[in-house]
Amino acid sequence: MKSLNRFFLTLTLIGLLLVFLGGCGGDGPPTEESAELAQPNETDEIEETIYVELPPITVKEGDGLPLELPPDLVWLTNNEDPEYASPNAIRGGVFRTWILSFPLTLRLVGPDSNGSFAGFTRANQLGPVSHHPQTGRPIPMLATHWAFGEDGRSIFYRINPEARWSDGFPVTADDFVFSLQFHRSEEIVAPWYNNYFTERIRDIKKYDMLTYGVQGADAKPQEEMHYFYGIGPKPAHFHKMSNNWVSEYNWKPQPTTGPYHIGEVDKGDFIDLDRTEDWWGDDMRYMRYRFNPDTIRIRVIRDVNAAWQHFLKGEIDTFGVTIPEYWHDKTQHEVFEKGYVGKYWFYNQLPLASSGVYLNTADPLLSDMNIRLGIAHSLNFKRLIETILRGDYERMETFQLGFGEYDNTSIKPREFDLKKAKEYYEAAGFNERDAQGIRIRKGENGQTTRLAFRVTYGNPQHTDRLVVLKEEAKKAGLELQLQLLDSAASFKQMLEKKHQMAWMAWASSGVAPRYWEHFHSDNAFVTQTNNITNHANPEMDTFIMQFRASADRAERVRLAHHLEQMVHDSAVMIPRTKAPFSRDAAWRWIELPEWLGTRSSTSLFNSQPPSGMYSGGGLFWINEEKKAKILEAKRNGETLPALEVIDRTYRL
Amino acid sequence: MLDPQTVKQWRRFRSIKRGYWSALVLFTLVALSMIAELLVNSRALVVSYEGDWYFPTYGRIIPGETFGLDYDYETNYRELQQKFKEDGSGNWVLMPLVPFNPFENDLRTDKFPPYAPSLETQHYLGTDSTGRDIVARLVYGFRIAMGFAAVLLVCSYAAGIIVGCAMGYWGGVFDLLFQRLIEIWNTIPFLYVIMIVASVVIPSFWTLVTVMVIFGWTTMTWNMRTSTYKEKAREYVNAARALGANNSRVIGIHILPNTISVIVTFIPFSIASGIASLTALDYLGFGLPPPTPSWGELLSQGTENLESVWIVSSVGIAIVAVLLMVTYIGEAIREAFDPKKFTYYE
Repeated sequence: MKSLNRFFLTLTLIGLLLVFLGGCGGDGPPTEESAELAQPNETDEIEETIYVELPPITVKEGDGLPLELPPDLVWLTNNEDPEYASPNAIRGGVFRTWILSFPLTLRLVGPDSNGSFAGFTRANQLGPVSHHPQTGRPIPMLATHWAFGEDGRSIFYRINPEARWSDGFPVTADDFVFSLQFHRSEEIVAPWYNNYFTERIRDIKKYDMLTYGVQGADAKPQEEMHYFYGIGPKPAHFHKMSNNWVSEYNWKPQPTTGPYHIGEVDKGDFIDLDRTEDWWGDDMRYMRYRFNPDTIRIRVIRDVNAAWQHFLKGEIDTFGVTIPEYWHDKTQHEVFEKGYVGKYWFYNQLPLASSGVYLNTADPLLSDMNIRLGIAHSLNFKRLIETILRGDYERMETFQLGFGEYDNTSIKPREFDLKKAKEYYEAAGFNERDAQGIRIRKGENGQTTRLAFRVTYGNPQHTDRLVVLKEEAKKAGLELQLQLLDSAASFKQMLEKKHQMAWMAWASSGVAPRYWEHFHSDNAFVTQTNNITNHANPEMDTFIMQFRASADRAERVRLAHHLEQMVHDSAVMIPRTKAPFSRDAAWRWIELPEWLGTRSSTSLFNSQPPSGMYSGGGLFWINEEKKAKILEAKRNGETLPALEVIDRTYRL
Repeated sequence: MLDPQTVKQWRRFRSIKRGYWSALVLFTLVALSMIAELLVNSRALVVSYEGDWYFPTYGRIIPGETFGLDYDYETNYRELQQKFKEDGSGNWVLMPLVPFNPFENDLRTDKFPPYAPSLETQHYLGTDSTGRDIVARLVYGFRIAMGFAAVLLVCSYAAGIIVGCAMGYWGGVFDLLFQRLIEIWNTIPFLYVIMIVASVVIPSFWTLVTVMVIFGWTTMTWNMRTSTYKEKAREYVNAARALGANNSRVIGIHILPNTISVIVTFIPFSIASGIASLTALDYLGFGLPPPTPSWGELLSQGTENLESVWIVSSVGIAIVAVLLMVTYIGEAIREAFDPKKFTYYE
């Protein structure tokens, strides 16, 4: 007994000692040593900066551009497409907008550089070409001409001799060569870029000060070449590469080639984008009359509701109101009714997010085609759209949509149909209903299987939608068990293929749909791939590989239609809803061209030169005279005619 | 016969009107919520169809085909009632007071939810943003919250009382060791644990109870430890020991009943904190999975849709009322069990 007591005493003493020591480390007053350790930035600076020369570009065997510019190149340009900016635009003024948080860095690559602010800065780093927002054809940006190499994966550009960085230096072929070296270097601490610029971009070569070539990994159809291989330059005169590049350039904004560069920065409060004086692109065909405000002031407002209040007070010029709740309810406000603020509902034609319910065929029940078809007929999207989504949204028809000719418009989604659902479920053996009305299947050994599935999703705002579907699905005898996880956890579960039904939307971009990552058997039954349905069909694999390899547009279109039909037939993905429009509210002194926007406008009040693959932003302007009048009217409480525009020009 | 001490305490409790009436009201509410299916439900109480009587409230669903409708899923009794009224066939349906269950979306195509309170649609407190009846959500949410608080109370008190008594009774190294263990245990941030759990699994009623018991049992140990220490030193304990009673008998039969006043006075406050924490977790989105009816979820909907003021006001008033009543009861009990007679209340 005594020895046991001593044992406990020792244990306690050890425990106490540990607690005591732990307390010292954590909460004790900082000694000089720990104070120094607590400021990693300072110790970083103490570390000696070693400047390095970036190594010359290495080329793998079988890759590499010709040493001399091929003489038989056909140089192309595009000066024929229509202009889309208004000559009535007025220059000047300050456009005030907002973001949720202050960026952690002004760098464009490296740690923490992927925040929402990056959208503003990256857009002002022009590429050699962009795409016309109406016709989709390439249009000159930094380059005036381009030519395609014989190997199908090389492209050559001629740089506009006028092109300048915002600090006055000319843009040269060296900047493009440097761009590849830069993105391959370890100093930028950006593994994704390192990998992409090694694996996908194989070579860049300077032929003279204004001519260079790029070689990519695979042959692509010509229409996709710019999108995949038309990388932008980096100012070779600006970046001095060193082991401390990341911290040294954290708050040093890189010069831009676009209309705006970073001006005044008040950390934590706002960032100004200033119009570059005598910008070289001012008179170019597709750039004139655009980017009209002198300054874009981006304020940090840490809460959406607070930002909305700022907007109502007129301290912010425009506000995105796409969400039904905003468009219908929150805009029931005096400033709208009295006509000081206008509402714009603008349909566009852009690649749509592949939003759907993805059924995991690794699940024994969901591997049954009848059950998948039954589920497709048990989800009442029509009711969802008519009620909760207020009739604004539309039913998505296919897996991928918004790629013009590539879309297979002959496919219609499976509608809510209790009779069909019943037939399919009965074919799968679910003949009876249990006490709650959910269908059951009796096995040979007397065990019963319920027709119940988990629906995994990561967006709490979608609970409303799922609740409606769940109640309606009960009618068909299907139970949906809602599993709301935080967005990272839900995505993880899907990539690990542990879900049953995934409520998911894949972002789409580019010029053509993609099937390999979502449906090829290489990606089925392995974790961390985008084939979250575990769909594996050897016949489809062949078509997918043909589609990937083909550089002929007509053939690709035909294959895409066929692949889309196969996706539909497999019933592994139930298309959800789409919102092929943008909705904005803007104070009336912000004016737009008569045609408001373009086919590919993501928002009418987007100030960015290219956003995504199209160059359609910056069409609006500020009318200061009107501003004074509206503010006057507001002071006096006068009512002006209200403005609500619904533009269906580009509605399909 | 009741122990005269208990009778005295009961009299005293009754004399504190605020607490007494709160207890009456609250117990009535709990009792009513037990039979909520008969009061607030989309299933009819009685259906008389072709001479047969049906009582759909409990048990299996009755498909629409049974009443001559053209579908095989659960009958929509509100529509059925309307239909019977219109065709004048002598069939009838008796619906509960509030003819909605907490899950169904009563959506109209001419207007978008949330719908304002209306006698005509029988949404007496309106609906939430997906068209679910707020009365139904409140009633069933109340039942779940009370049940949750009760289960939580029983589990964490059981653990707390056992460990606390043991600490007080044995004392010494055992006590010291457990004191330190509990102190360390208390430093684990409970909310983070819930957040982690909620991001990995769907938190069910029982996982939530388990997690909260694991981190909540320690509070009771301190009180039990002190009172056991105190009681242990009394003569009657020595007497029981001298008569040869073993440890479990001494604790269970002699000490525990004498510490009951400590336990009882804490109960209402624990119930209040149980309700409040479930509501808070639901509000933050880490509580019971959707679409479970819950006050926290209603509260968060209400704050997001401030212009639909009926949501936030009904749930806000409900929470305040229940927590107030529980607190009044708690005060009255504490008063009633207080050996010092002259207090603020008289």
